[in-house]
Amino acid sequence: MYLKRELPKLQLKNVSKTFHTKGVELKVLEDIDLGVEEGEFLCLVGPSGCGKSTLLNIIAGLEEPDSGEIFSNGHKVTGPGTDRVLIFQELALFPWLTVIKNVEFGLKMLKIDRKTREGLALEYLKMVHLSKFKDAYVYQLSGGMKQRVALARALAMDPEILLMDEPFVALDAQTGDLLRDELQHIWKETRKTIIFVTHNVREAVCLGDRVLVFSARPGRIKKELRVEYPRPRHIEDPWLTLQRHLPEYIQYVLVQLKKLPYILNQDS
Amino acid sequence: MNGFLRRIIFYALLIAIWEMVFRLHIWEEFLFPAPLSVLQTLVNGFMDRTFLIGIAISMRRITIGYGISVIAGILLGLLIGRVKLLDETVGSLVLGLQTLPSITWLPLALLWFGLNEKAIIFVVIMGAVFSITIGTYSGVKGVPPLYLKAGRNRGAQGYQLFLQVIIPAALPSIVVGLKQGWSWAWRSLMAGELLFVSLGLGFLLMMGRELNDMSQVIAVMIIIIIIGLVVDKLIFAKLERNLYERWGLDLA
Repeated sequence: MYLKRELPKLQLKNVSKTFHTKGVELKVLEDIDLGVEEGEFLCLVGPSGCGKSTLLNIIAGLEEPDSGEIFSNGHKVTGPGTDRVLIFQELALFPWLTVIKNVEFGLKMLKIDRKTREGLALEYLKMVHLSKFKDAYVYQLSGGMKQRVALARALAMDPEILLMDEPFVALDAQTGDLLRDELQHIWKETRKTIIFVTHNVREAVCLGDRVLVFSARPGRIKKELRVEYPRPRHIEDPWLTLQRHLPEYIQYVLVQLKKLPYILNQDS
Repeated sequence: MNGFLRRIIFYALLIAIWEMVFRLHIWEEFLFPAPLSVLQTLVNGFMDRTFLIGIAISMRRITIGYGISVIAGILLGLLIGRVKLLDETVGSLVLGLQTLPSITWLPLALLWFGLNEKAIIFVVIMGAVFSITIGTYSGVKGVPPLYLKAGRNRGAQGYQLFLQVIIPAALPSIVVGLKQGWSWAWRSLMAGELLFVSLGLGFLLMMGRELNDMSQVIAVMIIIIIIGLVVDKLIFAKLERNLYERWGLDLA
């Protein structure tokens, strides 16, 4: 029955992860089952320490789960792959490279020739409105600009799945708003599958087609919410700001969200 | 420019004091020469090409010795920085050898190679290579794991990860090692040249002593200082500034 359906873009089966530090066992993820459709914008929201970042690292193939499997396009994930590119919370732009060379980095690793590389990098820099700063070094950029470079660097590799780890957390409110708008625009244009991690419920609801709420340690999927509000969405939209007193704690947020059934159809 | 002016005045004053002490005739002239006779010796030395040949010979030795040290030191540093087994074994040996003054290798070098160029270049290498190794090693060890992750996530593996992520990320520390290595190489070369007849600047220094020609001794010392400074200020300072600017680091 299941096989008749088209395979999801990304599938996680019973993924668990425990960290061992100084003899202490820390179970960060427990039995994560998850399917992501092609072109979907999925947001993972949860308190800090709920393993959302670890989950992204596992999907990216940078960390191994203790148990469970991950399939990208039906192929088992065994390590990093350019089909799944992660934008780190700390961005991890390379300070020894200019903006354009940072964007070109992944293409260079794929042994794409210089001209094509440059052309592609310029195209993506244009998409994030940074063409003018192509020869700047990373330290010369503002936080928002660095974020754009990181986005361009990831997009340039044309990944099928874009993994974003709390990308806008260090930005001021205005820059965050602007980048959220642009991200939605770019997502619409490129039709990428995006998995976006945040601890900000409002941001998750604003951006996601679907929001998965994680519980704290060990991270488990507590709730799944579909957000069927037309785009483009803005974090100050009335339907979102109605929940002006949106509390920070996830449990409480869920109660609040249940009160808004006309906005959010709860699936589970 | 202000700082430059102050420096000029300082040195002018220093030379004036030197001249004054000379005129007090506390020491014999052959023990304490006048600034002007040192200058005269410098001019003569360059005119009859003695100093030029000395400089050329020393520079050739240090170029070979330091060049080998740079290649060997960086390779060794990368290896012990990335391979745990080598770190635990060779790494501790390198630390030990770095504390050994390089001139103590001279007796061994003389027995192995004889009284020739190879022996002195060997001493230079032993002086410089471990500083460069340690600089490279700590650079590699200090590469933020995040950069490695980012590199791997964007398709870099194996030698690409080495060339495109690890080495550039370690570069500031490697440059510190190179600079330190240079100054050790220069000191080792002078010590070596002093200790056995060999031409070169150290040899000219000893010749001054044997001829009781203090002005030659001082003249050669000045040349040694100037070469050391020029390389440090022109090459390494520039390299560091370039690197720090690019990385947006403060010039400490």
